[in-house]
Amino acid sequence: MAKEIYFEDVAIGTEMPKLVKSPLQKLNHVIYAGASGDFNPLHTDDDFAKAVGMKDGMITHGMLVMGFVGQAVTNWIPKKNLKRFGVRFAGMTKPGNTITVIGKVIDKKSQGGVNLITCEVTAVDETGDVKVTGSFDAALPTKG
Amino acid sequence: MADHSKVGKEYAAVQWEVERGKIRELARAIGDPDPIYVSKEAAIKEGYKDSPASATFLTVPMMWSSSMPVVITDLAINFAMLLHGEEEYEYYQEIYPGDVITASPKVAAIEEKTSKSGKKMDMVTIELLYVNQRGEKVAKAKSLLVERK
Repeated sequence: MAKEIYFEDVAIGTEMPKLVKSPLQKLNHVIYAGASGDFNPLHTDDDFAKAVGMKDGMITHGMLVMGFVGQAVTNWIPKKNLKRFGVRFAGMTKPGNTITVIGKVIDKKSQGGVNLITCEVTAVDETGDVKVTGSFDAALPTKG
Repeated sequence: MADHSKVGKEYAAVQWEVERGKIRELARAIGDPDPIYVSKEAAIKEGYKDSPASATFLTVPMMWSSSMPVVITDLAINFAMLLHGEEEYEYYQEIYPGDVITASPKVAAIEEKTSKSGKKMDMVTIELLYVNQRGEKVAKAKSLLVERK
């Protein structure tokens, strides 16, 4: 799916294609809980979530939002070129939120025969509220 | 509050046989349409040996093995006050269906911090270095857990 991207094709400032996900449904939390094995009821049970202080009920697994960011990254840069990927969970995501992932190249260097790019990535909801910030490194092939 | 005396402690190894169906299921749960996670043929066409584990797959052995709850309980962290602060992966080679990956969770650091609003928090860093059935390093996972106090 991700086409080969060459080191020569990107520059500092090059933007990653924007990914807009469908609005999150409670069902997405249940499916992700089963897939990931994270059955913390904070993510699937409104009564439990309210009892521990979440006034609107269940909140989305942070790792599902990181998964959206990972999708945006590896739909652009082939998974096999990804060397490091890290995020900070900056805000809580809830059912109904529409997550958009954006990113851009912030560094580019060749060292020891490896052509490395570093990109920053951000996931926001429909109001622009930041949910996840992070970065990744990828080693890219050259045309030469 | 987190037990600060346990910095450096290593826990029982997580061992996990990677199943093709779990790679596909996680991609589907995320809604990632990339066919490499579903079809071996599509993956081979794009230069993989088989369907690779996706970028955030390492959450699966951690959660399904119940390793993280064991660590959190041993560190005396209050689940109700726990937040996932950060997550980071380093990738050394692809993880494929049939691989058996193993890692021991290690408490890399515990630090107390004070938020802007003056609330104290314990910041707990857990690291796992995964090796495969051939003893090759495949990936490192680092989780930052935040316990509000």
